Amino acid sequence: MWLDYHSGAQLTIASGVLPPHPTFRIQLMRATLTLCGIIITACGLSSAADTPRDLARLIDGHIDQKCPDGRQAALLSESAFIRRVTLDLAGRIPTVAELEQFRNSESLNKRVELVQRLIDSPDFAFHHRNELDTLLLRRLEHNDQWRAYLLEATQQNRPWNQIFREIMLPEDACPDDARPATFLRRRIRDLDAMTNDTSKIWFGVNVACAKCHDHPLADDWTQAHYYGVASFFKRTFQTRNGSLGERFDGRIKYMTTDGDELEAEFMFLTGKKIREPKLELDEAKLKEYREAIKNSEKDDKAPSPPKPDFRPRAQLVDAALADTEQDFFARNIANRIWARMFGRGLVHPLDQMHSENEPSHPELLQLIASDLRAHGFDLRRLRQAIAMSDAYARQSRLLDDIDPPSEHLFAHAVPRPLTPHQLSLSFRIATSNPKELTGLASQNDWEKQRQELERQSEGVARQIEIPDDGFQVPISEALWLSNNPQVERDYLSASNNRLVGYLGSIQSNEELVVAASKSILSREPRPEEQSALVRHLESKPDHRSAAIDQVVWALLATPEFRFNH
Amino acid sequence: MSDPITTNSLSRRSWLRLAGAAGTAGFAANMSGVEVLAEPALTTALKHSGKRVILLWLAGGASQLETWDPKPGRPTGGPFAKIQTCVPGIEISELLPKMSTRLNETAILRSLNTKIADHGTAYTLMDTGRAPEPSLNFPHLGALIARELGQRDSKVPDYVAMYTSTEGRRQGTAGFLGGRYNPMFLTDNMIPADIKRLESISDADHQDRAELRDFLASMFARQHSHPMYDAHNSAYQRVRGLMTSDHLFDIDREPQSMRDHYGPTQFGQQCLIARRLVEAGVPFVKVARAWWDSHGQNFETHQELCADLDHCLAALLDDLKARGILENTLVITLGEFGRTPKINGSLGRDHFASAWSCTLSGCGIRGGSLYGKSDKDGQNVIAGEMNAGDLYATIFSALGIDHQKEYMVGSRPVPITDFDSEPCYEVLA
Amino acid sequence: MDPKNLNLIAAWPSQDILFCLAGSDDGSLLWLGSSDSGVYEFDISKEKPERKKLSGPGHSSYVTSMAKCGDKLVTGGYDKRLIWWDTTSREELRSINAHDKWIRRVIATPDQRHVISVADDMRCRVWDVESGNQIADFSDHAAITPHHYPSMLYAVAVSGDGTKIATGDRVGHVAVWDAAKFEKIAEVETPVLYTWDPKQRRHSIGGIRSLAFSNDGTRLAVGGIGKVGNIDHLGGPARLEVFDLQTGDRQLEIEDEKKKGLIEQIEWSAEGDWIMTVGGDHNGFITFYNASSGQLIHQDGHSGHIHGVWHDESFANIFVAAHQRVSHLSLQQKK
Repeated sequence: MWLDYHSGAQLTIASGVLPPHPTFRIQLMRATLTLCGIIITACGLSSAADTPRDLARLIDGHIDQKCPDGRQAALLSESAFIRRVTLDLAGRIPTVAELEQFRNSESLNKRVELVQRLIDSPDFAFHHRNELDTLLLRRLEHNDQWRAYLLEATQQNRPWNQIFREIMLPEDACPDDARPATFLRRRIRDLDAMTNDTSKIWFGVNVACAKCHDHPLADDWTQAHYYGVASFFKRTFQTRNGSLGERFDGRIKYMTTDGDELEAEFMFLTGKKIREPKLELDEAKLKEYREAIKNSEKDDKAPSPPKPDFRPRAQLVDAALADTEQDFFARNIANRIWARMFGRGLVHPLDQMHSENEPSHPELLQLIASDLRAHGFDLRRLRQAIAMSDAYARQSRLLDDIDPPSEHLFAHAVPRPLTPHQLSLSFRIATSNPKELTGLASQNDWEKQRQELERQSEGVARQIEIPDDGFQVPISEALWLSNNPQVERDYLSASNNRLVGYLGSIQSNEELVVAASKSILSREPRPEEQSALVRHLESKPDHRSAAIDQVVWALLATPEFRFNH
Repeated sequence: MSDPITTNSLSRRSWLRLAGAAGTAGFAANMSGVEVLAEPALTTALKHSGKRVILLWLAGGASQLETWDPKPGRPTGGPFAKIQTCVPGIEISELLPKMSTRLNETAILRSLNTKIADHGTAYTLMDTGRAPEPSLNFPHLGALIARELGQRDSKVPDYVAMYTSTEGRRQGTAGFLGGRYNPMFLTDNMIPADIKRLESISDADHQDRAELRDFLASMFARQHSHPMYDAHNSAYQRVRGLMTSDHLFDIDREPQSMRDHYGPTQFGQQCLIARRLVEAGVPFVKVARAWWDSHGQNFETHQELCADLDHCLAALLDDLKARGILENTLVITLGEFGRTPKINGSLGRDHFASAWSCTLSGCGIRGGSLYGKSDKDGQNVIAGEMNAGDLYATIFSALGIDHQKEYMVGSRPVPITDFDSEPCYEVLA
Repeated sequence: MDPKNLNLIAAWPSQDILFCLAGSDDGSLLWLGSSDSGVYEFDISKEKPERKKLSGPGHSSYVTSMAKCGDKLVTGGYDKRLIWWDTTSREELRSINAHDKWIRRVIATPDQRHVISVADDMRCRVWDVESGNQIADFSDHAAITPHHYPSMLYAVAVSGDGTKIATGDRVGHVAVWDAAKFEKIAEVETPVLYTWDPKQRRHSIGGIRSLAFSNDGTRLAVGGIGKVGNIDHLGGPARLEVFDLQTGDRQLEIEDEKKKGLIEQIEWSAEGDWIMTVGGDHNGFITFYNASSGQLIHQDGHSGHIHGVWHDESFANIFVAAHQRVSHLSLQQKK
């Protein structure tokens, strides 16, 4: 069970009612892990926070507590906040109309309201879909059916544990739907890929190096774990018509580093082992079943293959979601969502959850993981809570701090490259006529519009590199934006429904520059920028439309546009 | 001023602020988030300048028995004879007659034992010099060479990779060195994508808007600092320079006699592009020649592909030599593995990584040398066993790069060659 | 003889690869050409037949083909040599540096006075069996493929009356020759037998591997492999094309998706009513087609890719040289 894995760790939980935030540091009582385990069990994960706002306050409490006094960056300006949060919750930059609506709002609660609105918007589901697709399939394939499935799931805000079940055990969870099987189908010929990717993506554990030897850094991961997890996939096969099944037998044998040959046990990452009952089948029956499975692999019209009573992959899904083992599953997704919103995980790297790589804020990770469990793995709730926290709304590192606090303290924001979809969609939004494309501010048919934007931005998104740690914009991207005809055609078109066309209708250079800056950078230009851009326009009186193109291009090509900062 | 990449974080920031204040004057040249433990001063970097690498990547796995390590007369030997070369005592397959007269600048290594014999993993192993490690995205050879031999303000690309065939096509990555060192990857078209200015914009306007961008970026940099921003700026600041290098990819600019020298095959044309690139200062060019994976009809496949390799490699070495740049250019022939000595029922050979060969020619190499030995049937290495790390240590040493140099990746020192790797001094000049 | 009676009588596994064989008139002795460069006599009348290596300097590489002319045996191989052997004394009689590249096929004329060889130097050469003198040297085959690789000349056949010779190369070009004047009298193209992969792997596979005139000399069968998807393997259909030499029409075009691979040798029945093909991919096949309709009459797999076949006139004894084995088959009904 999970407690065994963190015997050295101390878990902190909040005691009693929290003082108002952010004026006071939260007083926390330290409890040992064991104690905590009892409490959690005893109160059945009763919510430490009722609403996302409560959870946001708890998050801030944990972050504040670790951060050295007075070292936290200031909160973002309104313009900067709406850009960041729209990118994170809607997967795109805000429209000018959305920007203005937010800035003009006089509500004292406007940030909370904005977050709520974005969470409820159709954009959220699209964005969340794009992120899940990248997480689960990387670019192993582009599959519209699969993406449609993910969109349905995110539109319905399907619980994460249910999505897990559907994807990992599609033959049970949704027998008539071949789409969620894509995750495993794509990896079906490669037992290592099924093992590694499942451990990494769903549990935050990279067991790959434990295949050949026990993990060099973490005692947690041994060969027995690797082959234990692999065993759950060993019997999985794909039928000709695209669904999955499991064979009646098949065990993995492996060589230890000492040269002994062992038969792998069915063992989850927590060390929980599952016993296989003796197969009560005579040879003839077994042969018949094997034949039927073989047929289903070859012939798409063959009847559904027989299902064994004991199915290892089904066992894995049950084990991973069992109350006693669920912690891995919950902590992983909590950490991944945190990283999406903050630029790094509470455990970092994200696939290195083990005892030698402690979370920066163990109590906080436990808090948000427990909150997820207590609220039916509602990922939307967690994203909403994070977006409402002050920790989320801080500025990124500023130059006047000679020795800024380390990134893992979350005292300032960590800049994040836009993901391929964020960037491609934002190019589209930024270069649309801001009077026509208003987004959530006033468009009734926005969902349809958003769908159309998704379609239009897909091609470019696929060419953009998926950012990993230490990402650097490749030269190919700079060359593409500089010289590709598609950029000229799609982003610099002078037609009336595009930004360049709209700017061309503005007489005053000053106003033009302000409009361009708001469309692209979601803010007014600074005085030096304003004068430089106006000067540029004035220097080319003979070909004004080209000069406008250049202003738009230059703004699109800034790091300020390329990153979520 | 010292090399900004290697200085501590404080002065690095000061330098950046300086760069920001100077407006478009330039950002940090080396944009990777990687720090180097052994600090090479700028002078050391200059020492390497002029050294180049051309990697002829024999994708799919060429047979050592039909190339550099023939075993005629053995059950595993296949039908082809061996021929005496211009170096006494060295014999190679009769499928490489042109190379047999041109081994004076070439070392043959016959003792690679790299153990991994599936394409994907072996490709990563042989293109990075180490087995993949899940938690570390290790750079491929081209990125390492670009990082070590590239010039910060170079107007030419520093890592060009050509891979026209689709089978086994894999784009190398700069891994933790960062996208700055990703390859310019050419597949269908030998002119890099987006390297030419569109006709709809004048050169002056193209430059003006780039300067406008630089200005806006410098404004941003007054308040925001991060290596990722630096890399972004660096990419944009290299655009105009790279655009002037488009002619390098155009072999029509070569006289007909030179094009004839390289021959009509696509591999030949790409070798000619490679020569044009290294001559112009590109530190690393990879030409992938796919696909050697001869599970059936191994001998016919090698009749075809060895003829191509033999001609193109010989033409390339002759040309580099005639231009006086072979001594600064290391030419490598390497794939992900070799092929089984055992001949299968389809007269094919399968994947084999236990005893196979590669060659190194030119820069830093003791020409006419032969290293390592496989047994009489080619099943095992019996002398001079080398793994991928040893080969990489040898390559780096030939180029004057310290093979024990370390990068700091986060808090972890990562040596440029795998632990316990040793250069093969016997083949080094 | 009914091809449906095909049955395996005996099989003799070995370590080496057997590329070719010939039999004595009474079928009791076989001669084998091996990947170990040896030429062997194989006495199958013995209960445990043993190989006897013919003596002499011999070949230095794979022995790819042989032709028996009376008591002489002429073999060719990758060492570019033709070697004459005395089958009685089992000794080498003569060795000729016959081609500049690898010899692919050697056949005898019906009168057994001449042997004809083809090699990857793209030449077809005719030799006097008695004197060893070269009688003719001709070619209609480009040394370089359209894709700039060395081409290969695998196949040669002679008509039953000895008046016509056919040669077939890597890219599917067949030339038919007047066997007296050595002038080209016809051409046939079989481009499907050559798979050039311009995109995935950028080399080729295939080629004309077998040629055979019908006994009346009016038709020519051409064998090899059809279009191959993944040219790393012999994963294409065995392909047979039959041409009417008077009209030049392609009469039959047969692809076998079941038993895949190369057709290495083609034999016509005495009456010309069916055609036997042998070959394989990783394993072997023996397949019989109706020579008029092209319909499959019968086929069987063989353990090991078949490189060569020899049979007596009645097909009561069929011997195949294969990857690591020699097998004895028959069309005579099993008793």
